[in-house]
Amino acid sequence: MSAGMETRPETAAATRATAPGRGRDGGGDATRRKGASSGAVKRAPWVLLFPFLALFLLTFIVPILMALVSSFTKVTRGGLFGEAGVVTEFAGFDNYAQVIGDPNFVASIGRMFLFGIVQVPVMLILCTVLALLLESASAKWPGVFRAAYFLPYGVPGVIATILWSFLYVPGLSPIIDVAEVFGVSPDFLGANTVLWSIANIVTWSYTGYNMLIIIAQLKSIPVELYEAAKVDGASALRVATSIQLPLIRPALLLTAVFSIIGTLQLFAEAQVLQRVAPAIDSQYTPNLSAYTTAFAYNDYNVAAAQSVLIALVAFTLSIVFLTITNRKSA
Amino acid sequence: MSPLSRRQLLSLGLGASAAAVLAGCATPGTTSVNTLPTIPPAAGKVRLEYWAWLKGLDQVTDLYNKSQDRVQVETVFIPGGNAGGYQKLYSALAAGAGPDIAQVELRSLPEFLLANGVVDLKRYGAEKYEELYDPTLWNQVSYTGGIYAVPQDSGPMGMFYQPAVFDQVGAAVPATWDEWAAVGAELKGAGVLMDSFPLADASPFAAYATQAGASWFTAEEDGWVIDMTDEATLKVAAFFDKAIDDGIVTTAYGAYTPAWFSAAADGKIASVATGSWGDALIEGVSGAEGKWKVAPLPTWDSGYASSFLGGSTAAILANSQHPQEALEFAVWMTTTPEGVNALIEFCGIGWSPAVDVVGTLREKPSAFFSGQNYNQEVFVPATKESSQNQDWSWWPVTQQSFNILSDGFRGKASGGTLVDAVAQAEKDIISVMQAKGLSIRKASA
Repeated sequence: MSAGMETRPETAAATRATAPGRGRDGGGDATRRKGASSGAVKRAPWVLLFPFLALFLLTFIVPILMALVSSFTKVTRGGLFGEAGVVTEFAGFDNYAQVIGDPNFVASIGRMFLFGIVQVPVMLILCTVLALLLESASAKWPGVFRAAYFLPYGVPGVIATILWSFLYVPGLSPIIDVAEVFGVSPDFLGANTVLWSIANIVTWSYTGYNMLIIIAQLKSIPVELYEAAKVDGASALRVATSIQLPLIRPALLLTAVFSIIGTLQLFAEAQVLQRVAPAIDSQYTPNLSAYTTAFAYNDYNVAAAQSVLIALVAFTLSIVFLTITNRKSA
Repeated sequence: MSPLSRRQLLSLGLGASAAAVLAGCATPGTTSVNTLPTIPPAAGKVRLEYWAWLKGLDQVTDLYNKSQDRVQVETVFIPGGNAGGYQKLYSALAAGAGPDIAQVELRSLPEFLLANGVVDLKRYGAEKYEELYDPTLWNQVSYTGGIYAVPQDSGPMGMFYQPAVFDQVGAAVPATWDEWAAVGAELKGAGVLMDSFPLADASPFAAYATQAGASWFTAEEDGWVIDMTDEATLKVAAFFDKAIDDGIVTTAYGAYTPAWFSAAADGKIASVATGSWGDALIEGVSGAEGKWKVAPLPTWDSGYASSFLGGSTAAILANSQHPQEALEFAVWMTTTPEGVNALIEFCGIGWSPAVDVVGTLREKPSAFFSGQNYNQEVFVPATKESSQNQDWSWWPVTQQSFNILSDGFRGKASGGTLVDAVAQAEKDIISVMQAKGLSIRKASA
C-alpha cells in the first residue's frame, strides 16, 4: 500500500516533466490541466475494464490456475477410510500418467476423434449446401426456411436429447415401428450405433447455427462479383464453386474450429442419452469422464488432470487444423 | 528504484489475491470432522436442512415439525443418488457447506466416509438405537467401530411375476434359480423374456452374488480384503452368462426403463427379480392391475433366501452445526410408527429399516396385486436376519467399482463373459484402491 502512495507524486512529476516537450504553447496552467486529464484518461480504461477483468479473473483465470495446481496434487488416504492419515503432496505427473494409463479415457478421446472425423464434415457440408440454397436467386421464402433451420439451435441440448430419445427407444419410437413394417428393426442405442445417434442429435442442433454464420459471410460478398459472373454467363453452380465457396472460406474455418472444440466437449447429449442407452458408459466422452471422476468418484485431482488434457488436445487440434488450412492457402 | 506502474500494481495485487485463493483451496475432504470436539445440543430453536430425493418428504417433516416446536426440519429435493444428488452433495461438502442430513445410499456411505463427509454418530450416542433397526442394515452403516448414518429405507428382494404369462407355458413359480432357468427356456419358445439383466448397472448382479453368499470386501486390521472371484460370485456370473446366451433375459434394457415398461405392458416380459420398492413401479405399468403377483426370490443351492437391492440412509453431514438434533430427527423418522407410516404413505419407501415397524399400509392385502398380502407373505420373511447375508460390507469406491463392473459387462455384447469381467474388475478395483493410498489385499484362496 505504501508503495502505491509513493509512486503517485513521482508519476505526476514524470507527467509534468514530459508535458512541456509535447505541448507547443507550454503555459503553466495548461500543462497542469493536461497532466490531470491524462491521468484520468489513463485511469478510465481500467475503471471501465474492472467489472470485466474481475469476473474474467474469478471465473476464468483463477479456476484454470486452480485446476492446474490441483492436477499436480495427490491425496493419499491410509488405512480403511483414511483414518490412518491423509497426506496431500505434490504429485508431479502421477495424475497425468494415471489418466493416460486409463484405457477408457483414452478410448473416449479416440471415440471423439471418430465422431469428429465423420460428424464435422457432414455437418459443414450440410450447412454450406443449405446456406448456398437459401442464398441462391431462385430460393422461395428464404426467411422462413432460415428461421426453420435455425430453430433446433434454440432447443437446449438436454431437451433435444430427450426429444430424440423418444425416437430411439424401441417400443416408443414411431421410426422403429414403421421400419418393422418393412422387416427391419434398427437399434439406435446399440454399442456400435449410439455414437451416430448422438452425432445425429448434434448435427440436428448445430447445422442451422453454422448455416447462419455462412449466410452472414455470403451476404458480405459484393454484388459486383455476381454481376460480373452474370455478364460472363456463369451458371448458378459455377457461381457457387468459383465465387461463393472461395469467399466463405473464413466462415467455414471458423465453424470447423468451433465444431472440433465442441466435439471434444461433448457432454449433455451423452449424459442424457445414458438413461436409455446402456451402451453409454460413465466415460463415454472425455468430459463425461472428468465429470464422473470429480463428482462420482470424488477424485478432484485426477479429474483436473483429465480436464487439462482435454483442453490441450482441443488446443492442439485447432492449431494443427489452422496450420494445415493456412499452408494450403499460402 | 523504478516506480511501479499501475499495471504492475494491479497485477501484483491480483496475483497476491489469486495466490491467497489458491492457498485457501486445498483438495476438499482432507480433514475429518470426527477428530474435532463434538457439538453439544443447542439451547434454543434449531433449523435443520435435509437433502433427499424422496418425493413428498416435506409432508413427513411437517409431521415432525408440528409434533414439537424446538427443531424445524426443511427438505430440499436433490436428484437421485449418482444421477446428480451425490454430485451436489460432494460439491457442497467441498465448499464447506451442505445440509445437516442427506439421503445417502447404503452402498455409497463408505464413499462419503472416505471423503470425510459424514459424522460418526457413535459420538452422539447412536449405539443406543441399534436394537431398533434391522441388524443387516445396521451392519452396513457401521464401519471401523463407528456408526456413520441411520438406515432410512431398504429393498428386500422378491420376484414380481405375471401369472397369466407363466400359465401360457404351464409353468409353476420357480423356487430355485435352476427352475427359473427352466421356466425361462420354455417362455423363450413362446417368445417371452423371463427378465432383463442390465449390463449398465451392476447392482442387481451384486445383490444376486450377496444372496449366493459372496462377501466381496472385508475390513481387516491390516486393510481391506477383496474377494470377488469366490465360488459364489463366479457361480452367479456363469449362471447369467448362460441365461443371456440362451436368450432367457434381455440385456438391451434394464428394469423400469421406458422399453421395459412397454414390454411389461405387452406381456413380453414375464417377471422381474427386484427390491420390494418394485411394487410402486409395477403399478405404473399400463393396464397392469390384477396381472402381477409376488413370490420369494429364487434361491441358489447355497447362500441365503433373499438379498437387499438398494436402500439408503439418513447421514449427518460433516458441516452440520446440530448433529445431535439431526440424529434425533432421523431416528424418529425411521423407527416410530408415525414416521414410518408417513414415509410409506408420502414417499413410498421400499421397506422400513425398523425391525419392529413394518408400517400399517403393509399389513393388509393389496388390491392391485390380486388381493395378495405380499408384504407379509414375501418381504417380511425376506428381511429376517437368517434370510440375509450378514457378512456383506460396502467399500469406499463402490460407485467406481460398479462402473468398472458394468464397463466389463458391456463387453458381453461383443463376445465377452461376465465371469471374465468380474475377474478383470477385481484387478482394476485393487489398483483404484491402491491409487487412493488405501491398504488392500486379495483374499488368499
